Amino acid sequence: MIFSMTIALNHTWVKAFMGTVACLAVGMVCAASNPANDLSALSAKDWNADKARHLLERAGFGATPQEVAQFARMTPTQAVQTLVRYQRVPDQFVPFDDSGSHDDGLEPFASSRPAATDLAKATGKSLGVNVKPEGNRRVQQVADRYLYWLRASRLETHRLGYWWANRMLTTPRPFQEKLTLFWHGHFATSEEKVRDYRKLYAQNETLRKHANGNFRDLLIAVAKDPAMLAFLDAGVNVKGAPNENFAREIMELFTMGVGHYSENDIKEAARAFTGWNYDKLSFVLNPQHHDDSPKTVLGQTGRFDGVQVIDILLAQPATADFIAAKLYRYFVREDLSPDLNQALGQLLRRSRYDIAAFMETVLLSQDFYSPASMATRIKPPVELLVSTYKKMGLRSVPGIPDFNEQTDMLGQKLFYPPNVAGWAHGRSWITPGLLLARANVIYDTVFPPIDFVAPDRTPNGLYQIVPVADKLAQGLDVTTATQPEGKTMGEMSMSMQTDRDEDFNTRLASYHAWRKAIEKVKPIPRDTAQLDVSGLVRQASCHTTAQAVDHLLNRFLSVPVPDTVRQRLIDLLTQDLGTNDLKHADSYMEDALRNLLHVILSLPAYQLG
Amino acid sequence: MNPSNLSRRELLQALSAMSLSAALPLHAKQTTAEDNRILVVVELTGANDGLNTLVPYGNDHYYRLRPQLGIRPAKLRKIDDMHGFNPGMAGFERLYKNGQMAVIHGCGYDNPSYSHFTSAAYWHTGAPNSGEPYGWLGRLADAIDPQLTPNFLINIDERQSLAVRAARHVPVVFDDPQRFGRKGLYQSRPLLDHGADVASASSNASQQFLEQVAQSARQASVQVRQAWNDYKTPIDYGILSMDLPKVAAMVHAKLPARIYHTAYRHNAFDTHVHQAELHQRLLTYVSDGVAGFMQDMKRIGRDKDVTVMVYSEFGRRPAENTSLGTDHGTANHVYLIGQPVKGGHYGDPPDLGQLNADGNVTHTVDFRRVYATVMQQWMGADSASLLNGRFETLPVFG
Repeated sequence: MIFSMTIALNHTWVKAFMGTVACLAVGMVCAASNPANDLSALSAKDWNADKARHLLERAGFGATPQEVAQFARMTPTQAVQTLVRYQRVPDQFVPFDDSGSHDDGLEPFASSRPAATDLAKATGKSLGVNVKPEGNRRVQQVADRYLYWLRASRLETHRLGYWWANRMLTTPRPFQEKLTLFWHGHFATSEEKVRDYRKLYAQNETLRKHANGNFRDLLIAVAKDPAMLAFLDAGVNVKGAPNENFAREIMELFTMGVGHYSENDIKEAARAFTGWNYDKLSFVLNPQHHDDSPKTVLGQTGRFDGVQVIDILLAQPATADFIAAKLYRYFVREDLSPDLNQALGQLLRRSRYDIAAFMETVLLSQDFYSPASMATRIKPPVELLVSTYKKMGLRSVPGIPDFNEQTDMLGQKLFYPPNVAGWAHGRSWITPGLLLARANVIYDTVFPPIDFVAPDRTPNGLYQIVPVADKLAQGLDVTTATQPEGKTMGEMSMSMQTDRDEDFNTRLASYHAWRKAIEKVKPIPRDTAQLDVSGLVRQASCHTTAQAVDHLLNRFLSVPVPDTVRQRLIDLLTQDLGTNDLKHADSYMEDALRNLLHVILSLPAYQLG
Repeated sequence: MNPSNLSRRELLQALSAMSLSAALPLHAKQTTAEDNRILVVVELTGANDGLNTLVPYGNDHYYRLRPQLGIRPAKLRKIDDMHGFNPGMAGFERLYKNGQMAVIHGCGYDNPSYSHFTSAAYWHTGAPNSGEPYGWLGRLADAIDPQLTPNFLINIDERQSLAVRAARHVPVVFDDPQRFGRKGLYQSRPLLDHGADVASASSNASQQFLEQVAQSARQASVQVRQAWNDYKTPIDYGILSMDLPKVAAMVHAKLPARIYHTAYRHNAFDTHVHQAELHQRLLTYVSDGVAGFMQDMKRIGRDKDVTVMVYSEFGRRPAENTSLGTDHGTANHVYLIGQPVKGGHYGDPPDLGQLNADGNVTHTVDFRRVYATVMQQWMGADSASLLNGRFETLPVFG
């Protein structure tokens, strides 16, 4: 009930607003012939399958022809609300299948390997492991355990990436996952620094929980989120020695954007967040570390705590403008006029930061369905792969090739954003090498490599883990076994001829860590794509090669291809099959259809959605 | 099929068969000296131990901090009464003594990060503690080449470095020139390689962009593979050459690239354990590779046009650790190398007697001064706008 009231208010207001400001004051033409920049709702009579498909592309991860047809039968308002108000759709909640690689002895986790081993040497114990009282390498097990957790967390994060990608692919609430992905880029937090998949999983659920809710709730939840607190050094932000990292990022990246605050605002705001920290997986406020004295932030003075500073930030017009623009650029299009940005900022302010209400207006707007918006967005790598699987009719993300490696190669690995600013979108996804790589990923999906090596079971060349293991198995002493590669025995100095007396050996620890990590962390299933292109064209009642080409073009591409290209695709398939009659070729057409699919998905236009 | 494409392809084929230098002015615009200048940036990933690269053997603190890892003066390749190169670095010693190497000491930034990831991003963007989305080389390319010349900015690596990410340029990113191309079956090659991505005459700007990149990928991949196949050199680059022979091949083929970024990959310099021999070997590779490249540039007559910059995301802790290695540090040397460089020392070596609370040195030169120097004095760009502030240049280029 509250939802529908908000919507009604919003729409009334949007129409009034667009009528006065955007059209008259700015002088834009709001006629149907130029719907770009027009935030008023699309009329039901203009709704069709193309627009339904566009909506499903942007508010989700693409759709099969059946889903497009289903949404095309709705009114635009129904279609948008079905996606945006996803709380109405039952959630098929499949929690992450945690391997259980963590135990309490690892807490608190040392900030570095030297910190872990130094603590062991000083106290006789570290990371839940006692130091050996006698003998060589007395703190070896501490070093092992430190590196074990780094390895296990990384491997488990890769499983988490698979879990999320599968959720994107199969969820009945695609907009929830799409927004969660958006917020992951906005509140960019990387396992590289957090080094604890459990915190990243918890953050992922927090982002999902608040994805279409109120931005204030989301922002406060993220500010108190252990992964974010770890990522932005909350632990060292204490009274008397404030650390500005979080205060800077919350202003620069999470709310207002650069240019709307001073360095002094950051310094003052940092004091308000002093004492904010985490213990294990929970937020804690340490009162003795919190600076309770008055601060002046953006012209206001008081004994602010973190939440009060967040409210000051939310009250700045710049914040609504910034968030509205970022959502718009992600979901609609990159170029945004200052006038439209202002209108969107107003819209978000008027909705009191209600993301669902804001997005409902945006996704219903004539602007969203204008030629300037449709099929103009370059799909980010994760969306490219997931939507490809979806349109292929796959029910799970293939294990070969490796999803994390492929998306990483294309520039977007889940839980590993490149820096605090998250991923740069739009054209920055595309380089000549990457455009070819995007097509090569398709090739490896339709014709999977037969020499695939699972990266979660086999160490890569780093740290010489495999050679060390081999040499130990041959009975070599640890010092010899861990000598860097490329050295012959003859080159070794006298001192190196016996096992060295030392506290621990890091290369040995790398090997032990890998062994223990793969013992604990479950393997990623390595099935290839269960692809049945023949089934897709059969289901679509294609009888000729031309019909098969048209079906696949329509199923996968958001823009038409030139007739000459279409004809060459038909010729390719006809020649491969030796006939244009699919009925005759039915028993042997799969490989030819897969090859055709690879060529179609290699078209530059396939990057658009 | 676009006829101008065909003639361009034919021209290129013709060019590869005859003397390139004679043919180029046909389509080259008015050039100035600066237009020929090339910057090759080499990243030593994993944080190179600068103290054992160019050893301050005249400083007692060095031997106090490194009782086991400190390299004895007798073994060093001394360049003056304070500094000597690691014994494995014959190439660097020669370059320095020939006056072709500027060593900039103590390069770093305020509030140093000890994370490879974070600090590398700071160096790549040239903007510590900010959300700058573009790389310093990407911004430089956008500034000095507003006409967006294809193949202007080349990054040889497994994936694109943040350093070359640009708002407007499309960096050519590849790893193995032979594999810079499409996978695809024989019967599809005509479609994949020539026909399928013909311009659609669409008014969709994103589609036009993708078609341009596809065309550039096709051209670049053909040119890069061609350049690589046509390149033969008698010069010995050593064992692990950091992709510098690939750069040489591109320079040799007269690709329009003026900015290259390559890396010694995979955090190789992260020498936490038993580093002495491993580190020396890594340095030998770097030294041989760079020296070989400079020699190759001389061989093909481009030594006056090329400057190499060698950097790392940070240095290593002055005190050795208990595993005969070194941990993450702060300020480090940057090397600018080439015939155009005025060799010698720049900046003050950090004070090894005054370490910070983490046991690290305090930087003496903001690394963006090096960027400003390269941008301004070598590439002819206004560094203040590219670096979000004015950084004093160093007199490296006269």
